Amino acid sequence: MSLYLFQALNGIGLGMIYFLISVGLTIIFGLLNFVNFAHGAYYLLGSYLAFTIVSLSGNFWLALLLAPIVVAALAWVTEKTLIQRAYHLPHTFHILITLGIALIIQELSISIWGPIGKTVAAPPSLAGVIQLGDFFYPKYRLFVIAFTAVIALALWFLLERTRFGALVRAGSEDAQTVSLLGTHIHKLFALTFALGVGLAGLAGVLAAPIRGVHPFIGPEVLGLAFVVVVIGGMGSFVGALVGGITVGLVQSMMTTLWPQGASLMIYGAMAIVILMKPYGLFGRA
Amino acid sequence: MNTTSKTSIYKGITPAALIAVIVMPMVLPSTTLATEILIFALAALGCNLLLGYTGLLSFGQGIFFGGGAYAASLSMIHLNFGLLSALLCAMIVGALLAALVGALAIRRTGIYFVMLTLAFSQMAYFLAYTLSDWTGGDNGLLDVPRPALEIFGIQLADLTSSQAFYGFVAALFMLIFIFARRVIHSPFGSTLVAIRENEGRASAIGFSTSHFKLLAFVISGAITGIAGALYAMLLNFAPLSNIELMMSENILIMTIIGGTGSLLGSLLGAGTIVMLGDILSSIWPRWMIILGIALIAVVLFMPAGLWGGIESLMKRFRESKTSEPDPKLQQEAKS
Repeated sequence: MSLYLFQALNGIGLGMIYFLISVGLTIIFGLLNFVNFAHGAYYLLGSYLAFTIVSLSGNFWLALLLAPIVVAALAWVTEKTLIQRAYHLPHTFHILITLGIALIIQELSISIWGPIGKTVAAPPSLAGVIQLGDFFYPKYRLFVIAFTAVIALALWFLLERTRFGALVRAGSEDAQTVSLLGTHIHKLFALTFALGVGLAGLAGVLAAPIRGVHPFIGPEVLGLAFVVVVIGGMGSFVGALVGGITVGLVQSMMTTLWPQGASLMIYGAMAIVILMKPYGLFGRA
Repeated sequence: MNTTSKTSIYKGITPAALIAVIVMPMVLPSTTLATEILIFALAALGCNLLLGYTGLLSFGQGIFFGGGAYAASLSMIHLNFGLLSALLCAMIVGALLAALVGALAIRRTGIYFVMLTLAFSQMAYFLAYTLSDWTGGDNGLLDVPRPALEIFGIQLADLTSSQAFYGFVAALFMLIFIFARRVIHSPFGSTLVAIRENEGRASAIGFSTSHFKLLAFVISGAITGIAGALYAMLLNFAPLSNIELMMSENILIMTIIGGTGSLLGSLLGAGTIVMLGDILSSIWPRWMIILGIALIAVVLFMPAGLWGGIESLMKRFRESKTSEPDPKLQQEAKS
């Protein structure tokens, strides 16, 4: 029984990390109508920055704060220089341009940090396990669940209860009208892109102590994020949450049984959802 | 005026490909490299039919490439198939896989179409990984033979030497190249272009666009399957990476950098990237950064790719030679 609980908690933690990645992707798609194939690469960058900050300062909390900000700043620069020119182009062009960006980030990361994976230690205060009766669970993984839950709430508040969120949502409906009403839409787009990508960077930091950093993880993360976004519905916040946790649970429950089977199931589910319910489980037509 | 100059360029395309195929092994450092270029040019050709002529961005090309490689290898290892029957087997498997993927994927358009091909690509990879009894899993399928060229039991050529194998691949490449040209210049090819330009209008005229798209997929899959089989014979090995998403991406990048919408562009794209990889990978392992930059540059600034760039240079050259203005052309410009 406790094994199932262990796996379920693992799945929820993993799922919350998938949620962070996917919600960024889905916000960017919702507002900017932009398909970001470089999302997994920015996650990778977040992980590597965490590795560097932790090994230089020995402070994980500094990495948790700084790495996502650096990733978001880089994303902002990319948006201003490159992405901005592509908004008016068809989706296939978005995909190809960001595929190029992903390739550049991945290869640059390897030339900086080397082709061999790195490990990042959990902060000392969260090392070890927590004991509840005869049930043991790593403290860091519990922290990830709690922390991402707080982030999810904050994000929900930001999107649903603030002026910025209202503009983002209004922009998703009709960017032109929002622009005509006097909002500087380019600024809003750049900020949203940076926010979405920064969330991927944050996910990269959080995942680093659990899964390590591997230079070729970008495409895998990107694939999973698209599964989550497609199943949940493009542009849907709740969809990303439910989709993320579902994918995390399926992966975690199948790891001991048949890990490749989990991937087969997940991608199979993605295909079925697109064919049967193209706007996802929580998306709007 | 414009049409005649265009057809004269088109007429030169098959001879140009033939010259490239003859010259390549002479100027390149190794025949194996030239063979690899032609194999990937075939894969890019298959991709080009979908992306360049039909406007379908498929991340599923690796499925057909890997599927063809496995089909040829397994049929040679377990069923003692000869060279041509193994290639035929790869072609059929490639076409069938493409029919399956295509039939489902073309039910959606745009981003959802791309996502479907992505999902199938990942499923094919994990399936190949899981069926390690057949595919060798992570280790790949070892000891893939390269049989002699035989027809009805009469041996025509032994292909063990890299020169002989190049000759065979080159002949096959030219055959498929001419076939692809016939396809795109047929009414069928024109309909594909019409679908690319405006699918709604093509279907309003009365074309069943999904049938055309499916057939484009099948042709593309068949060609890509053959390329995969040849690659396995070249390496004597069918690695799992054949069916990885990265393979689909590489084929796409070759097609786009070379130039979508022109068949010579596929040869040029495959040649450029395979050669770059061969020259640079030993001195600068991270040479793929160049690919990323080139991909962005081509998509944003040079949508017709390298071949498009060459074509417009050639045009400018011709115009400068006939500097005297053509009265007919001026009249056309006025009207």
